[in-house]
Amino acid sequence: MDRMKDRLDALWAEYREALPDPEPGPNFLPQLWQKIEARRVETTSVFRRLAQICVMATIALALVMSVVMVPRNNTDEVFYSGTYVDALAAEHSNDYVDVLAAADLR
Amino acid sequence: MLVDFELIERARSGDDGAFNQVVQAYRKRILGTIARLIGRPEDVEDVGQEVFLRLYFSLDQLRTSEVFEPWLYRLTVNAAYDYLRRQRRRQESRMSDLSEQQVMMADAAAGGKRNVEEKRRTDIRETVDALLGKISEEDRILLTLKEVEGLSLKELEKIYRVNENALKVRLFRARQRVLKAYEASEPQEGR
Repeated sequence: MDRMKDRLDALWAEYREALPDPEPGPNFLPQLWQKIEARRVETTSVFRRLAQICVMATIALALVMSVVMVPRNNTDEVFYSGTYVDALAAEHSNDYVDVLAAADLR
Repeated sequence: MLVDFELIERARSGDDGAFNQVVQAYRKRILGTIARLIGRPEDVEDVGQEVFLRLYFSLDQLRTSEVFEPWLYRLTVNAAYDYLRRQRRRQESRMSDLSEQQVMMADAAAGGKRNVEEKRRTDIRETVDALLGKISEEDRILLTLKEVEGLSLKELEKIYRVNENALKVRLFRARQRVLKAYEASEPQEGR
């Protein structure tokens, strides 16, 4: 077992020697910068896409809101179509009758 | 450290020229480590570029310049893991590639095209690569960093972010497994 261990240790050392640090090729740096640029563009386009999605969602939400709100506004318009005086008159029509009746009594 | 802290600080703050200098200082060492970790010389530059690409986009997460080297080694180890995992997925096609390569190498050797020293180196590489191929990627990377790269336990602690005892246990187990694989391979290889 120890003999095998020693042989293995020697093998690691030989392996280290047999595989020296390789010289980088002349295109190493230019290719690296190309990859960095590509990743930057990719990240930017992801943000752009997100922004587009946000704009689309906002427009869709605005449309939905307008569809929901418009009929309610129309109803409200009908409800408040009369003047304030008309509304009061409609509310207190009996009072008017009572006043008339009191005048008749005099 | 192959560069001073100030250069790393400049690279961290977005100075591309400083980053370029950092890459130039470390690329040879990192490519050497990758070559020994993955055992495929033709893919070393690709994996090396991946390491520096990850470095570029993660430099702002570096706490201090003092931990730059363990950080870079950690990125190297992670990129090597990813590469080895991808390789395992493509194992079948790779096996056929390898056998073709071996046939070509045998032909070249028979034709006397390689000198004796080159043949000895190739034999060692093939023996160790075959041996490392029989253990897990985790064991392979840990043993290569310790036994071949010669990193200390302290350096490995920073890279793996585990305490010394846990690391010693991992190393012991990895050594046992590779020793077992070595013993098993001995009779087949006629040693």
